[in-house]
Amino acid sequence: MAKADPKQYVGLAARSKEGPRLVTGQGRYTDDFTEPGMLQAVFLRSPHAHARILGVDAQAALSRSDVFAVVTPEDIKRDTKPFRPGRYAAGLKKPIAEYAGAVDKVRYVGEPVGAVAARDRSTAEDVLESIAVDYEILPANTDVHKAIAGEDASVIYDELGANLAWQGTLEYGDTEKAFREADRVVRENLKIHRYSSTPLEPLACIASYDRFSRKLTVRTNTQVPENIYDALRDALQIDDIRVIIPDIGGGFGQKIHLIRKYVVIVALLAVKSGRPVKWIEDRNEHMMAAGHACEQHFDVEAAVKNDGTVTGLRFKEIDDVGGSISTLTIHFTNKLNNLSNTYKVQNIRADGYSVVTNRCPVIPNRGIGKPGMCYIWERIIDRVAQDLDMDPSEVRFKNLVQPEQMPYTTPNGNIYDSGDYPGLLKRALEKVDYPALKEEQARERGKGRYLGIGVVIGVEPGGRNAARDMAIFPEMKETPGSGGINGATIKLEKNGTIALYLGSPNCGQAHETTTAQVAAGILGVSPDVISTTTPFDSDVAPWGVAAANSGNNFHLYDIGSIIGAATQLREKVLKVAGHILDAEPSDLEIADGVVTVPGFPRRRLTFAELGKAAYNNQSLLPEGIDAGLQTTFYYTFPHAQPNMVPGQDRRVRAQFTFGAGAHVAIVEVDPRTGKVDVLRYLIVGDNGTIINPGVVDGQIYGSAAHGIAVALGEGFVYDDEGQLLTITLTDYGKCSTAETPNVEVEHAPSPSAFTPLGQKAAGEGAAIPSPAAIASAVENALEPFGVKVRHLPLTPERVWQLIQEAQA
Amino acid sequence: MIPGAFDYHAPASLEEALSLLSANVDDAKVLAGGQSLLPLMKLRLAKPEVIIDIGGLAELNYIREEGDHIAIGALATYTDVAESDLIQNRCPLLAQTAVVVGDVQVRNRGTVGGGLAHADPAEDLPAAILALDAELKAAGPDGERWIPASEFFVTMLTTSLLPEELLTEIRVPARDGYKTSYQKVSRQAAGFAIVGVAACLKESADGVCEDISVAVTGMTDVAFRAEKVEAALRGEKLDDSAIASAAALVTDGVDPIEDVNATPAYRAHLAQVYVERTIQAARAG
Repeated sequence: MAKADPKQYVGLAARSKEGPRLVTGQGRYTDDFTEPGMLQAVFLRSPHAHARILGVDAQAALSRSDVFAVVTPEDIKRDTKPFRPGRYAAGLKKPIAEYAGAVDKVRYVGEPVGAVAARDRSTAEDVLESIAVDYEILPANTDVHKAIAGEDASVIYDELGANLAWQGTLEYGDTEKAFREADRVVRENLKIHRYSSTPLEPLACIASYDRFSRKLTVRTNTQVPENIYDALRDALQIDDIRVIIPDIGGGFGQKIHLIRKYVVIVALLAVKSGRPVKWIEDRNEHMMAAGHACEQHFDVEAAVKNDGTVTGLRFKEIDDVGGSISTLTIHFTNKLNNLSNTYKVQNIRADGYSVVTNRCPVIPNRGIGKPGMCYIWERIIDRVAQDLDMDPSEVRFKNLVQPEQMPYTTPNGNIYDSGDYPGLLKRALEKVDYPALKEEQARERGKGRYLGIGVVIGVEPGGRNAARDMAIFPEMKETPGSGGINGATIKLEKNGTIALYLGSPNCGQAHETTTAQVAAGILGVSPDVISTTTPFDSDVAPWGVAAANSGNNFHLYDIGSIIGAATQLREKVLKVAGHILDAEPSDLEIADGVVTVPGFPRRRLTFAELGKAAYNNQSLLPEGIDAGLQTTFYYTFPHAQPNMVPGQDRRVRAQFTFGAGAHVAIVEVDPRTGKVDVLRYLIVGDNGTIINPGVVDGQIYGSAAHGIAVALGEGFVYDDEGQLLTITLTDYGKCSTAETPNVEVEHAPSPSAFTPLGQKAAGEGAAIPSPAAIASAVENALEPFGVKVRHLPLTPERVWQLIQEAQA
Repeated sequence: MIPGAFDYHAPASLEEALSLLSANVDDAKVLAGGQSLLPLMKLRLAKPEVIIDIGGLAELNYIREEGDHIAIGALATYTDVAESDLIQNRCPLLAQTAVVVGDVQVRNRGTVGGGLAHADPAEDLPAAILALDAELKAAGPDGERWIPASEFFVTMLTTSLLPEELLTEIRVPARDGYKTSYQKVSRQAAGFAIVGVAACLKESADGVCEDISVAVTGMTDVAFRAEKVEAALRGEKLDDSAIASAAALVTDGVDPIEDVNATPAYRAHLAQVYVERTIQAARAG
C-alpha cells in the first residue's frame, strides 16, 4: 500500500485559500451579519479612573419606545453571576467577585457600566447621554512604585486592603551560590510600557436568545470560543450555548479575555429584549477598555564570570495589571515560557509583584510576558559585554545552549526540542557582514552619522500547557486544565471534496491553507479539494483545552489533530474501497482522489464515487463498519511528560516546542531630533519544518513589525489622574507601512523532535526579541553620547531626552 | 460611534448655500470633503442640527491662472492642488505642502477650503498660505470680501470668517524664481504636523537672501509667520551658521502647545531644527 505522506505538500508555497477572499472584501466578519429584528447596542462607560457608583438613573432611556433594553449595574448584580476566578487569580487570598460590568465601583476609564439596545445605533448613542450616573470620585492609582511602598492614593479593591495584589517567587537552581561565587554582578533597571496589537477589526458580537428552547447563540470574533462559552454559562446560568465565529480581523491576544464581559452584557440585552442584539466596538473604546499589554518594571542582576559566562540571573518584576484581578499574574507566569531564553544558565530567581492600578486591565498580547523576558536577557547580556569590554555577540556565543545538548532541559523544566542557536547567530552575523558593518559604523561616526547595530536572539515557545500557572500557585488543588487537547473533524463529502472542521477559529493566520496542505498528503488528494469550514460553530466543531487561537498552539494541536483525523479517514476510505473493489485495503493506492488497485487500471474508485456509495448504499459497505466517511480525532501531545503538571519543585513545561530567531537591527539615529530610522532588519529563524513558507513569512513580518513599532513608540499614555491620552491610532503612535522597515527573513530550520512533521510555532516569534533588538541598536548608535537604553518606548522625544540627559 | 440625526441640505448654487447658511446660522455646519467635520460628528464632538453640503458646487472647484496670481476654488482637493501643473510651476510650495496632508484618501476627498476654514492648529496648509501671503475670499449675504492670510486664522478652530460667510477662493501670488519647501515632523507618514515649516525664499547669484518668508504650523493654537527669522536673514548671506542662528529665533516669544505627541520643550527644539532644515531644503531645491 502506498503510504500516506503527510509531507507531500509540506513546504510548498501553496496559494492562499482565504487570502483572495479577505483581500478582495469578500470576508465575512461579525459586522457583516444581520438578523431579523436585530437591535444595536452601545455601552455606557466610566469617564473616571476610580469612582464609587452611588446610583444610576436610566428612567429617561427606559421610557422611550425605540429603546428595547437597558442594562445598569443593578441589572448586572441581579441578573448575572460573577465569573469564576481564573488561573491567573488563583493566588488571591480572598476571592473577589468580578462581574461582566462595574457594579459598585469603576476602576478604569472606559470600564463598562451599562448598555442600551435600541432600534439603531444613533438612537442608542443619543440615549446613552440621558443616563445619569452618580459617581463619588476617588483618588486614582497610577503609580506602581507608590503601591509597592505602601503609599496607595486609595484602595482599588476593598477586599485586598492594598493595591499590591499578589507577590511570589520562583527560584530554580541556587542563585545565592551563583551570586556569591560570581566574579562580578551586573545590574540594570528596565521597563516595558503598555501597548496593544490594535487589530483592525475591533471587538464585535451578535447575540440572540430563543426563549422557547432556551438556547443562546452568539456570533462573535473571539479567539477562544471556550472562554465565551464558559463566561456565558457562568454569568447567565444558561447551559445551551452556541458560539459562532466568522472571519476575524486580527486577534493577537486582544480577543481572548475582556471580550467575554461584552458578550455577556450583549447576551443579557438579547435575553431582556427578546430580540437579536448587535454590538460593534469603536476604536476609542478598544483603546480604552479592550485590554493592554502590561507595563512591566524590572530590576535585573546577572552573576558573571570574567570570561563572560553568566552563572545566575535574578530579577524583580513589578507589573501594572490595571483595574481587574482576573489577569493578575499572566505577564509574570508567562516568563516561565522563556525564562532562560537561549542560554544555559542554571540558576534563576524571579520575584513577581502584581499591582492593581486605575488603568485598563492587562490581557494576553502577542507573546504576553515573553517579550519582557527576552528584553531582560538581551539587555543584561549587552550590559555584561560593556562591563567586560567584550563584543555583545561574543558574550552570547559564550552562553548559548549548544546543539549537541538538545533536547535540553531548562532549569524550570522546559524541554527545548531542537535547535542550533550558535548557528542562527553566526549566520545572522555573516549575512550582515558584522566586521564590515562595524567598520562602516566607525567611519560614519566620523562624518556625524550615528549608525547602530543590535544583535539579539530569542526562543519562540509554542503549544501551551494550561497547568503552567500552578507553578506559582502550589496551593491550587485542581489543575485548571493541563497539557493540550484539541480536536478536528474531517469529512469526505458526497462529491469527493473534503470538509475540515477545526477546534480553533482563524484570525487571519491562513489556517485554511496550511491545514489543507497537511491533510492532502495523508488523504491522497490535492489541497484544492479540501476546505476548512468557516465560520467556526461550537455546535459542530470539536472542543479541547487547546481549542483556541492563542498560545502559539496551531502548529502543535491543530496540525496534530488534523493528522490524526485524516489518518483515520484514510484507513476508512481504504477499508470501504477495498470492499467495493474486492481487494485488500493494504494493496490499494490513493492518488489525486482516486483509489486504485495497482496493476488493475479498471479497478478504481474516485472519492466522489466512494462518497456516493458510503452515504447512499448500505449494500456496498463492508459488514460491521460504521457507515459514513467522517472522523473526529482529539489530539494530545504525546511528549507532554515529564513536567506537565508542576510538583513541589515547581518545574513545569510552560510550553512544548521551541523555535528561535537571531535578529539584527541596523538603525540610524538623528541626534538632533531623536528620530530612529531602521535601515535594515534581518531575522535568521528556526520555525521547525515549514508547512507553507508564505504563511510563516507573513507571521514573521507581522510580529517583527509589531515588536519594532512597540520599541519605537507605539504605546498607551495615561495622565496622573488615570485618563488615557491615546484613544486614537494616531495618538497611540501606530506605525504605518511607511514607518515599518522591510524585514528580511532567512530560514534555518531545526525540525522539532517532538512533532510529526518537525513543525514549530511561528505566530509570536519575531515580536519577542524585536523590542530588545531595537533597544540594543539605538543604544549602540548613541554610544558616543554615553546613552544607556533602559526603558521603552524609544519615541523620538525620548531618544532626544536621553541624549540631553547623557550630555548634561 | 456615529452621528446623531441632522437635517441635510445640498444647495445647487453658491447663492442658495449662502441663503441656507444665513437661515440656519446658529445650527448649521458646512460640509465640503468631510475629512474634518465627519470625524468630529462621529465622535459627537460636533452635533450640528443642519448640514449644508456644498461638495457638489462645481462653481467652487477650479484652479486657474489670473495674471500674476493663481486662483484656487475652495472645493479644489489637496490632490488637485498637489497634481496641478500650474501650481507646480508657478507656486510649488502649495503642491509641496498639499502632497503631505493626511493620506491618499484624505487628499482625494479633503478640500483646500474646508481644511483652511476648519483651522486645525496642526493643519499643514496654513503654513504655506501664510508664507505665500495668500488672500482668502469670503462670500456672505452682503457680498464678497478679501481677507489676507495673516488675518484669517484667529485661534484654534476659529477663523475670521463670519458665521454667515463661506470661504470661496484662495488667491496666491505666483512665486516665479523663488525656492520653496515644506517640511514637517509627524508620528506617522499620514499624521498631523507636530511641527510643520514652510519656507519661500529668493537668493541672489552670490547667495544673498533677497526675500524670505517662513511660516510655522502645529506649534501653537494658530499657524504663524516667523518674522524674527525672516528679519535675521533678509539681505544676509545664506550660509549654514546664519541659517542656524536665525532658525533659533523661531521660538522667541512663542509658547508651544503641549500634547501627547510632544512636550513644549521638544516642540520648540523641533521648530528650530525644522526651520533650519526647511530653509536648507528650499535652497537645495
